[in-house]
Amino acid sequence: MYTLLIVQLAVSGALMGMVYALIAYGFQLTFATSKSINFGQGELVMLSAFFSLSLIDSGLPYWLVVPGGMLFGAVLGLFVERAAVRLSLEQKGEGWILLTIILGLLGFSAAENIWGRDDRPFPTPISSDPLHFFGIDVTPLELSVAIGVLAVMGLVELFKRKTLLGKAFEAVSADRDAAQLMGISATRTIQLSYGLSGLVAALAGILVAPITTVGPTMASVLILKAFSVAVVAGLDSGFGIVLVGLFLGALESLTSFYLGSGWREAPGLILLILALAVRPNGVFGKASIRKV
Amino acid sequence: MKKTILAALAMGLFTFQAYAADTVKIALTGPFTGGSAPMGVSMRDGAKLAIDEINRAGGIQVGANKMKIEVVERDDEGKNERGALIAQELSSMGDLSGVIGTVNTGVVLAGDKYFQEKGITKIITPAAGSASMTQWSKAGVKDLSIFRFSADDGIQSAMVVEDAINRKLTKVAILHDSTNYGVSGRDDLLDQIKKQGNKLQVVATEKFNIGDKDMTAQLLKAKFGGAQGILIWGIGPELAAVSNGMAKLRMKQPLIGGWTLSMSNYIDNAGKNGNGTLMPQTFIEDPITPKVKSFIDSYHKTYGVSRIPSPMSAAQGYDAVYVFAAAVKQAQSTDTHKIKDALEDLRDPVKGVIATWKQPYGKWDPANEQTHEAFRRGQVVMGMVQDGRVVFANKADRQRLIKEAGK
Repeated sequence: MYTLLIVQLAVSGALMGMVYALIAYGFQLTFATSKSINFGQGELVMLSAFFSLSLIDSGLPYWLVVPGGMLFGAVLGLFVERAAVRLSLEQKGEGWILLTIILGLLGFSAAENIWGRDDRPFPTPISSDPLHFFGIDVTPLELSVAIGVLAVMGLVELFKRKTLLGKAFEAVSADRDAAQLMGISATRTIQLSYGLSGLVAALAGILVAPITTVGPTMASVLILKAFSVAVVAGLDSGFGIVLVGLFLGALESLTSFYLGSGWREAPGLILLILALAVRPNGVFGKASIRKV
Repeated sequence: MKKTILAALAMGLFTFQAYAADTVKIALTGPFTGGSAPMGVSMRDGAKLAIDEINRAGGIQVGANKMKIEVVERDDEGKNERGALIAQELSSMGDLSGVIGTVNTGVVLAGDKYFQEKGITKIITPAAGSASMTQWSKAGVKDLSIFRFSADDGIQSAMVVEDAINRKLTKVAILHDSTNYGVSGRDDLLDQIKKQGNKLQVVATEKFNIGDKDMTAQLLKAKFGGAQGILIWGIGPELAAVSNGMAKLRMKQPLIGGWTLSMSNYIDNAGKNGNGTLMPQTFIEDPITPKVKSFIDSYHKTYGVSRIPSPMSAAQGYDAVYVFAAAVKQAQSTDTHKIKDALEDLRDPVKGVIATWKQPYGKWDPANEQTHEAFRRGQVVMGMVQDGRVVFANKADRQRLIKEAGK
């Protein structure tokens, strides 16, 4: 009985952790190619969820809403890259930090004005009736999150390894200057990574919306957790991000059970501090080698 | 040409001033956007229905002439700091007769001191947190211009505990959010359990934050503690997360809590998992009498909805306006201090949709907050969520209200 309880807690938490992982993966994609991240990633998640909700309201079936929302996310990602990141990177500056934050704030106000400040339910055909597996309860909705996350991450990783464009992606990640000398356009590749990152954020929004409801602040908690996951795992490893995401989710759930619900946020923050103090490149990160 | 425009403008200005002097200026405040908006908007819209009715009948009889009600609206967004700013602005208006509104107890605590300082009459509705009134008794204020028109958490928690005992429950878990409202609700519940003879054993007391969506840990504590029922204090979206979490963990225990369980953002987000949830209500959207029916119909028609987002907020806003108007009439003045005196000794009964209000308030006594509380236990019933609506949980209450209205 007692082990079942622990397993139930861990599984429920880990499934939420998958969402942290997916958002963190969005950070990782752009960091790999450009060493920059979109600090407004949470707003991308939220805006895409709202957009998808509008698609549903307009009567589109769910199976068309998902690609529609993802496309919208990708377009937003490309917009962020053009508006906030490209010029700043060309000048080797850090202006993208402030610019991505500002774009995020802009997106937040836009959402408040277009869709209002209320939390709204996100209808989905996936059932939320519990399924019973070996004594623990899981809803198909939670499973769909896990499957969606693994599927999209798997596809993106496959794309990076098997296609020519993907190889260019990896080359720019490994060494931007060398890749450019080989005739690969770093600008195009970075653009691609922001598009993919937006797409991944949109999927995270669509998957998590039926559980969290859709509102302007829906991603504010998620994004902090995702950031912890990205830093703890290291911004180099997609695989590490999933592992750390699962771990953090389960740990949160167990902490709030054993130490009390007030301590729920603690493990994420402690992990973040520990990672920064002991392994600044992340548990799965590569040590940075600086050539002198 | 220019001259005529100027003349018209001057005329307009003149008539506006003449008009302004003949009106009773009332401010309606509350969260019209954000998580508590269903309550704020319903309260405002219910109040405006009453104001429209009064104005259409010519206004309130003061002396020889009839005065119309003029409304000032302010959206506090449910944020304490905005509420404080609005209270400062309104209390410096000079010609304001009174204020009706406020949903969030935190906003009441942040803002009401400005009204009390200037002696501006305010009727709090529908904020229910006990602290809204106990802050004044604790401070030992001798003369209070703040009244409440809402079933306070004391009445509500008493009813929740009573209901749990009536259902023959012996072990319960208490869940609450980490806001002022949730924490004071938990204390009220624990207090009531003690007062009602310690018949309930509390097997778990768990809290959650605003924005939390995964309640598995808290619910499992309740489940493995052997709780037969969950007593809960929180607001809409998180309450829905609890309901959905219970469905996932196959917990069929009754969920009983504060009146926030009737918020539309609870009912909508919990969907079918919300069925059977129990909470105290001052008003149920069920046309039990012709007066109630006409109120519900005109709300639906005026605002183009088929369901009032928060029926009891709407009814309380509506009745509060009539109580306030009766005080203006009795005071024969738009002066906020005289209206306060009249409210403390309202001679004519006021017919509202919730009840007929006979002397709802008395002279403020710091040793007894009930002097400025309008609701008593008898005006509150248990409601239950059923297929997206709140219905009477007990048929007997429905019969009783019909009978009382007939008298």
